[in-house]
Amino acid sequence: MEPLSFFEALRSNPLLFSAIIAGFAASFASGIIGSYVVVKRIVFISGSIAHSVLAGIGFALWLERAQGLTWVSPLYGALLAAIFSAIIIGWIYLYYRQREDTVIAALWSIGMAVGMLFIAQTPGANVELSNLLVGNILWVSQEDLAILFLLDLLVFAIVFFLHKRFLAICFDEEQARLQGLHVNALYMLLLVLTSVAIVLLIQVVGIILVMTMLTIPAAIANLFTSRLSTMMAFAIALSGLFCIVGTAASYHLDWPGGATIALLAGIVYVVSLLFGKRLTEK
Amino acid sequence: MEDAIEVEDLSFAYQDHLVLRDVSFRIKTGEFIGIIGPNGGGKTTLLKLLMGSLMPQKGRIKVFGNAPQYFLEHISYVPQTVRFDKQFPISVLEVVLMGRLAYLPWYGWYNKEDLQIAREALARVKMSHLENRPFGTLSGGQAQRVLIARALASKPKLLLLDEPTASIDTQAQAEVYNILEELTGTMTILMVTHDLGVAIDRVEKVLCVQNNVMLLTPQEVCEHFAIGLYHTPLRTNF
Repeated sequence: MEPLSFFEALRSNPLLFSAIIAGFAASFASGIIGSYVVVKRIVFISGSIAHSVLAGIGFALWLERAQGLTWVSPLYGALLAAIFSAIIIGWIYLYYRQREDTVIAALWSIGMAVGMLFIAQTPGANVELSNLLVGNILWVSQEDLAILFLLDLLVFAIVFFLHKRFLAICFDEEQARLQGLHVNALYMLLLVLTSVAIVLLIQVVGIILVMTMLTIPAAIANLFTSRLSTMMAFAIALSGLFCIVGTAASYHLDWPGGATIALLAGIVYVVSLLFGKRLTEK
Repeated sequence: MEDAIEVEDLSFAYQDHLVLRDVSFRIKTGEFIGIIGPNGGGKTTLLKLLMGSLMPQKGRIKVFGNAPQYFLEHISYVPQTVRFDKQFPISVLEVVLMGRLAYLPWYGWYNKEDLQIAREALARVKMSHLENRPFGTLSGGQAQRVLIARALASKPKLLLLDEPTASIDTQAQAEVYNILEELTGTMTILMVTHDLGVAIDRVEKVLCVQNNVMLLTPQEVCEHFAIGLYHTPLRTNF
């Protein structure tokens, strides 16, 4: 098939078009927040948040389909569950650090189990399950898109005013505390922002592949930049690029979009690890 | 002269392990103090208590007449460089600017004055030419000087250093000591060190920490060693 046909389809197919827009919206927040996640080394924590989100999505689907509350969208459930689990994890980090990783892994699986049980009780939701897990941006509604942009705006505004403080707690928590920063509150806020970015990404690539998109563009950017702010800009650009190239490839190959995007990101990461290492060792 | 630090009957334990027992001492404003003692003797714990990261379980600490928690903006801490992530994307100037965090306005952007103070601090440790370098690419000695500049950017009255010369070469060590010597008198300096020889040459008093503390002059430390009263690991410990 001609490469042009993807762009023609983009013009004629509003679903595909909004898929790309959703991809960009997600790239923006995840490039910024993913950079914090990578330098603060909270990748595993983010993984737990991403997976426990299934509980909220399952619950929302169950309310919508089985209980007839038509105004409930899986997006609301995802947001609530993400913020809720971010707060629990933040609390564990601050007050129960001895067994932090174990508790976080438990939260991870409990969240998924609760989600699966709700989905099992919801007629016809098994189809959604695969969408949730590997993602399907063709599934995003206009209203969801509006919410995605609103969340983007929120993330941008908070980071604009708090970036120096976030940078400080990522680089040297002890020093930040000595300088009178509210380190615990900032850490909590960073986790909540991470959970928002995760929800945005779930729309695009699904739960299983969220971690790829949250961390890989930032990790690649980290190899080639030496300022956190530049790293963010680079990560946003990379993430947007992966979304558009991945979606185009999946359209031509008739592959699932989320998996194609994530695989593309993964390959570029491995290549840049091999190649980028040589650059920095010079 | 006003006492910079006043510690009275201080005791501190981690769970059941008593690290400091009934510690009392006073340090005068502007003194340069070396802290020595065996590993696990409580040196780092004492620093953490002085900067309010740990709370004393018994006794009292006053820094310029206040509890440390109420005096944080005047206390600067220089950690060891080894604990930093070499791949962290941050420039030297950005690191030094973190010394101005306490003065950051609500909207979270540094102003011209902060920038000027940070650059002056960098000049003081002779690192101005590297302000745009990624922090992770610096040598151990350079990184240590940048961390001292960060501490100076806060314009502290009390400067605490945790083994600033561990894991850097002799030349770089001498540079760090020269910087500290230049600062003597302008602020009170407490430096943990394993390097007893240098400590005795450069500092005004030595605080020996081993569950309890003794504040000695360098001559007294030598006398103690001569009669074998005080056992300190003399080899450098990394």
